[in-house]
Amino acid sequence: MTELNQSDAGHHEPQDQRSLNTIAEKTTLIIASAILAVVVALVGYLGLDAKNKTPPDLSLSRSGAIWEASGQFYVPFEVQNQGGKTAEAVQVIAELKVNGEVIEFGEQQIDFLSSGELEEGAFIFTQDPRQGVLSLRVSSYKLP
Amino acid sequence: MYLQSRHLTAWKDEFHDIIRGACGGFLFGIPLLYTMEVWWIGSTATPAAMLLAILTGFVIAFLLNRTAGFRKFKDIRTTDAVMDSIKSLAIGLICTVLMLTLLREITPHTPLYEILGKVLFEAVPFTIGVSLAAQLLQGSRTDNGTASQEKSFSKSTSEEINATLSDIGATLIGALIIAFNIAPTDEVRMLAAAVQNSWLIAIIVASWLISYLIVFEAGFSNQEKRRRQQGIFQHPVSETIACYLVSLIAAAFMLLFFQRLSFEDPWTMWLQYSILLGLPAGIGGSAGRLAV
Repeated sequence: MTELNQSDAGHHEPQDQRSLNTIAEKTTLIIASAILAVVVALVGYLGLDAKNKTPPDLSLSRSGAIWEASGQFYVPFEVQNQGGKTAEAVQVIAELKVNGEVIEFGEQQIDFLSSGELEEGAFIFTQDPRQGVLSLRVSSYKLP
Repeated sequence: MYLQSRHLTAWKDEFHDIIRGACGGFLFGIPLLYTMEVWWIGSTATPAAMLLAILTGFVIAFLLNRTAGFRKFKDIRTTDAVMDSIKSLAIGLICTVLMLTLLREITPHTPLYEILGKVLFEAVPFTIGVSLAAQLLQGSRTDNGTASQEKSFSKSTSEEINATLSDIGATLIGALIIAFNIAPTDEVRMLAAAVQNSWLIAIIVASWLISYLIVFEAGFSNQEKRRRQQGIFQHPVSETIACYLVSLIAAAFMLLFFQRLSFEDPWTMWLQYSILLGLPAGIGGSAGRLAV
């Protein structure tokens, strides 16, 4: 029966006429709609998530052992935004104090830190930071 | 049996339409992919701005699909345009995710917020490209007259060399048009810092694949002419690789011209930068060969 119907309609459609509702078109439409629905749902989730409305919460810490190369001392660090909103132009600084006096100073600027994002880097000193007191802190940021 | 072949044809047509759409997306969207301001806009976008980006993308796609689209059909009704716009957006989103992952702008450590923002804002130009695909590089799709004329030519060596030179010239023109705008910017340097060597191999493979799809699978104008093209690099695969190398050399010269590279720089830096700029240059080169 199906064969008969097909043979009845057994002429090819003209090139410029769309063959509507083929299984292929339907399947790709379902997949495309699902992709779009997931994206919209994720954006909706972000919009409803209360955490995303909290201000940036920036923490800076050492992320590994100090190492020496070519007469310089490298202090690896990581900075993370545990708050909700994105922070822009995050300024991190490191001070090396010996006998209560700041003898070296390092700074770094991170362009963007989204919620939950972690960035890594290193401060470089010419004197061994292990011989003094090293303090790391985030000094400033701005909201985009 | 007839039904099976009909289904197979429908799947093939749909596959080719999607490939054509994706290639249109790459041609239109790749310059904005190499624009760090778009990454930043995405990184800081609010959920409301993201929804607006989706909506804007859909409306533009709908308007374009009413007139252009990524299919060969001419009788586009409103319902067709709506369905194709959903597909255009989905194709744009998938291509953007793949490209941003390839360029290491999306990694497993990137927060969801940032991924969504970057993808949605980069996907809009890709979606426009998808919806314009049928209009891009438009021309005589099946010029049988030219075919018979070309077949009657004898394949003399000088003709092969001329055809090869013409291919190289067309690749260079296309590569220049797309990559010349990107070469002087800081993006190549920034991307090079983020992309590790193993990812460079993936970028080379992606450049070949996209280039091949644009020239030989997307069904743009002159595709059949390209398949019949004479010259030293006759086979589609060898032509793709040879023209990619031309694009790579063109990328290196563009970077040298804008003093982004100098002869004092290590060869690894030359290689990294050239491969990164070689991706848009290769896509432009492919469009160039179709246009000539």
